[in-house]
Amino acid sequence: MTEVQNLNPTILNVADLPTRNRPSKKYSDYESGIFAAVPNPADFLSSDSEDDDLLEEPIDEQEIYDLIKLISDPEHPLSLGELAVVSLPDIFIKPTLPNVPGSPLQTVTVLITPTITHCSLATVIGLGVRVRLEQSLPPRFRVDVRIKEGTHSTGDEVNKQLGDKERVAAALENGALMQVIAKMMETCQ
Amino acid sequence: MSALQTFMLVVDHDKEEAKRIADSVAQDVEGKKTTLIEIVQQLGEYINDEDPILRGKAVSFLTSVIKSLSPRYLSRQQIQVLTTFFCDRIEDGGAVAGLDTLQRLDRFTKELAAETAQSLFSNFQDLQSRSQSQRFQVYQLLNELMLKHRKALRDMDEISLVGVVDIMAGEKDPRNLMVVFSILKVIMMEWNITNHVELLFDSVFNYFPITFRPPPNDPYGITAQDLKGRLQDCLSSTSQLAPHTIPALLDKLDSTSPNVKKDALNALIACIRSYDPNTVSRFSITVWEVLKFEILNAQEEFLSESSLEALQSIAQRLSEGVTQVTQDLPLAQFLRPITKECNEQLQEPQQKQAKPAQQILGALSSASPITFTLVVQAVVAPIFTVYQEADGIVKQRALLETLSVLFESAIQVFGQWTTRGNELALENPLIEFKDQFSDVLGQALMGAAKEEVSFRATALKGFLRLSTLRDFFQDNEVGLFVQYLDEILLKEESVGRDDLKKEAIAALAEISKHKPRLIMDITFPAFVATLPDEDDDTSSAYLSTLDTLAKISVERDIFETLFRRLFSKLSILLQKEQPGSVAYPRAILMTLLYVMDQRAMDSDPNVDLYFEKIVIGLSRSVAESASGKAKNQILNDPSILDTLGRLCNLLVRSISVQKQEQVAENIYSLFAPATDFTPVPFSQNSTADQERTIIISTYLLAGLSKDVSDRIPHTSPDVSGLLSDLVQRSVYDSTEPATHLAFLRHLALLVNKFLSKQDISIAEKLFDSLISQQCQAFSPGTIRTVFWLSKSLVLRLAPTTTHILTSLLGLLSSPDQQTSSSAARGFAILLGEDDVLSATNGAQIRLLAKQRVFTTVIPLISSRIREVNVAGTEDAPQVDHIKPAHLTALAGILSTISTALVMPELPTLLPLLLQSLDLQTVDSVAVRAATLDTLSVIIRDNGVVVIDQCGHVHSLVQRLLKTTEIRTGTGVVNTPRLRVDALKCLYLLATKQIVTETASNARAPPSISPLLPEKNHVLRSLRFVLDDPKRDVRKAAVDARSAWLRGVDDAPEDEE
Repeated sequence: MTEVQNLNPTILNVADLPTRNRPSKKYSDYESGIFAAVPNPADFLSSDSEDDDLLEEPIDEQEIYDLIKLISDPEHPLSLGELAVVSLPDIFIKPTLPNVPGSPLQTVTVLITPTITHCSLATVIGLGVRVRLEQSLPPRFRVDVRIKEGTHSTGDEVNKQLGDKERVAAALENGALMQVIAKMMETCQ
Repeated sequence: MSALQTFMLVVDHDKEEAKRIADSVAQDVEGKKTTLIEIVQQLGEYINDEDPILRGKAVSFLTSVIKSLSPRYLSRQQIQVLTTFFCDRIEDGGAVAGLDTLQRLDRFTKELAAETAQSLFSNFQDLQSRSQSQRFQVYQLLNELMLKHRKALRDMDEISLVGVVDIMAGEKDPRNLMVVFSILKVIMMEWNITNHVELLFDSVFNYFPITFRPPPNDPYGITAQDLKGRLQDCLSSTSQLAPHTIPALLDKLDSTSPNVKKDALNALIACIRSYDPNTVSRFSITVWEVLKFEILNAQEEFLSESSLEALQSIAQRLSEGVTQVTQDLPLAQFLRPITKECNEQLQEPQQKQAKPAQQILGALSSASPITFTLVVQAVVAPIFTVYQEADGIVKQRALLETLSVLFESAIQVFGQWTTRGNELALENPLIEFKDQFSDVLGQALMGAAKEEVSFRATALKGFLRLSTLRDFFQDNEVGLFVQYLDEILLKEESVGRDDLKKEAIAALAEISKHKPRLIMDITFPAFVATLPDEDDDTSSAYLSTLDTLAKISVERDIFETLFRRLFSKLSILLQKEQPGSVAYPRAILMTLLYVMDQRAMDSDPNVDLYFEKIVIGLSRSVAESASGKAKNQILNDPSILDTLGRLCNLLVRSISVQKQEQVAENIYSLFAPATDFTPVPFSQNSTADQERTIIISTYLLAGLSKDVSDRIPHTSPDVSGLLSDLVQRSVYDSTEPATHLAFLRHLALLVNKFLSKQDISIAEKLFDSLISQQCQAFSPGTIRTVFWLSKSLVLRLAPTTTHILTSLLGLLSSPDQQTSSSAARGFAILLGEDDVLSATNGAQIRLLAKQRVFTTVIPLISSRIREVNVAGTEDAPQVDHIKPAHLTALAGILSTISTALVMPELPTLLPLLLQSLDLQTVDSVAVRAATLDTLSVIIRDNGVVVIDQCGHVHSLVQRLLKTTEIRTGTGVVNTPRLRVDALKCLYLLATKQIVTETASNARAPPSISPLLPEKNHVLRSLRFVLDDPKRDVRKAAVDARSAWLRGVDDAPEDEE
């Protein structure tokens, strides 16, 4: 990367990025703040029981977002989330075969917004997102990564490349490219 | 053979003998048996020899003799002759050492020093072709001359300057360079170097950047950092070098290596700090123009930090001696282009480069009051303009952050309310904008939409900084802020993670340190007014109110107010017929406990008051309540008694010995008259309410010092009666759990803390009598009593510790399953932390206790399990429980012990841990969880290597993968937590393949990872775990899988 294409992009504050509010575990006030320090004597002799609730938590858009928001931009030491390259409203999960009711197959669609309309790294970013999702989602998911309409001058071109299985596979054989992508994913945690 | 000849024969291989010869010759000289002239004449036949080795040995003989002479023997004239002689022969070995000996003598003159130096300069033009040690000797001699005869050398002026530079040119050895650099530094600082600036500069700058790496096992221990330091000292020694150093260092910033850039920046900072301000001023703008790039387009964070430090140092140097702020100051000229640049960047404050602009302003404004004033004058007004015109909250927030950075600098420059001394003559330039700040921040904090948490939080932090800034806001202005905070805490609904409320509490706590009065006058009445009279189960809002009050009341005056208010609430509650839920009084007690715990109670002047009210007053009420004479049941509740007990414990620890004695006497009577209350010990048919008071007694006992043990009732002539009574009560299974625990702790405290060494056999006999009953089945109550008694003895390493531990292990093999499994769970008690039997309470906990238990128990468990495995299934099924019981016991011990102790036993231990993972039933969940915890700590601290050394990588990975499965359908239970823990272990395996050993530089040769054979299987198996129904499990699976994808490779990556 000899020349940085977009020197001064707008940055979102990490604290303002969408996160999951965890209502799942209901902490009573007693378990927070100063009251947590003193155990209730009723707990002393009870053996530790784990409430193994069978409630399922299906994979949702926020989870997809959390998987990709920390990928770093190849140009800046900033994450795709902070740069608003990926954003929660641009992630969709739909059944792959809507006509087959019980089918477990799902398609994840992620729309990418490059920081500038002529960003030549859009393809690399798209590939990065794609690789991350393929590594992190179970086999019943299909991954579809595209440039958001109207945000890139050669969006169709890039989409064709990202959508073409053969071309994606070929790109992933490219050592230099894979190194860039591996570097981008180092920050995923 | 003459002494000279013998000397020359032995000098190479027998230094001792050579020295002895020289000593005896020296004695002869001093005893006038021979003269120096004769000795020199003797040398004659050798010193003109063609062989330089021979010549060297001959000269060394003379040197050795001189060395052995007493320091005052040689006359001035003799010294002169010898000096001339050595200078003539200076190239021969030993001559330099001879000169070194001579120049140490008092009679060595200035002229001789000059002669010696001159001789060094003219004869050692070829110094670099000689060996390192010879060169070192020459430099040492020069260095000595510099130390003792500096004036002589300085008077030689150019000759010594050029001479030194000439002989050291081309030197490469680090040890020599250390000496050379320090000689050069002296010359640069003290000689007149006007005509030779460039020569000197080149002679040292040639070595920049230092790329030296010490060889392994370097005997001299010189590091690259040492050399860098000396070199830097030379470069920064005098302002005269500035025209050369500063441009040269700035040039080095074009380097592609971050390390070179770092060295250049460090040297630059050193120069700025040492050159005179005028020189610094001359180069200041050039420096800014180069460093600007490093900061705005930061390559590495440390480079940007160093660059900021350099700018800050310039500002500090330029502020020296300045008392009046004017625009003609060199400082003002330096700052002008910088503030202009920052103002431009801040036009779009949400963009990436606004951040570095903020950092620049922060670094400069904190440099000195003068720079602070200049920066504020240049940037605050423009920031307000952008703020007013800003089209969005994101932009405004970034601007508030920038202002906050300035406020932080103001605090550094002008101090906080609590800062003592150093009143500044200069007025704080922010005063001019005070009302504007107050308006803008108030508007942002209270006027913005409630969901804009981070915006409001930024405003809050800014407001807080201004409120603590010394001599800035008036009290009523800080008071306004306090009111805002109260409003946020009391009136606003929770939003998201409640970040704003947390910030608000922290802000109030901070203000309480600076302006306690405002908190007492404004916050206290508002908060206390919202506390209900009783908890009528409609709302538990009082919890968050109490939480806030606790956190802001750590200051002394405030705490006193808090105590009075809360204690009166509590007293009213205790008098009510219908007091509502006990949760409320308990929360009040917990609040007091929290704050007292934060404060140092033993130095609190009010501790006696608190003692009177709580320990004496409330204990008495507890006794009253236990006898059924109270208005309500609050003080009969075990959770209340527990919290109150902790409070009493804390206070008892903080009071005087006299008061402690009083407590000791009243431990069981709880300060109540004998007619009203029957103490628990030895009482027959006491009610559950009465027995429960033992909770308070136990906490009181725990707080007492050992010195008052003779005041405890029922302890003389000896304590056996009391102990037996407690044991009887402890083994009784149907006692309430809280009361039961209190009996156990009470027993343990008496045995561990108060029982004297002589009487320890009483407890040991008690142990034997409990365990040696003929039947092999024991009730859970008995088991628990046995373990608590053991705990108290083992922690103080009683003489029978080994006997105790083997007896406890014996219980595991009991044919009675219940006995075996309760005993197995008991092992967690043995070394577990306890709030009552703790070091804080003065329990006797020997440092080696844990190790002793571990090393005694592990081999026994291991061999017992082997026996059971070998016996196999043909044995009767009634022993099926023995193996799980042992594994449970093991898990219990491991959970209370640090891994450092575990590591030496790992080869024994690991097979046991793997067998624990093979357990599959619901009962084993806790054991498996504990095992995974232990494994993860072992892997985290020691890496895969240790497991590979035991040869268990494959078995471990297989078992971990099995534990991550969910749909097994064979009755195996893997709870979500187990699955997550197993995945974490897999993750750690992949990330801890190479243990980072900071101690040695040597890196292990790249080898094939022991994980490689497992990689494919792991990746395939984890792909299915990615579909786990639980989100936390999926998250852990993603992390583990990407760690294996990335980290497990043929050869470990070469990381710099």
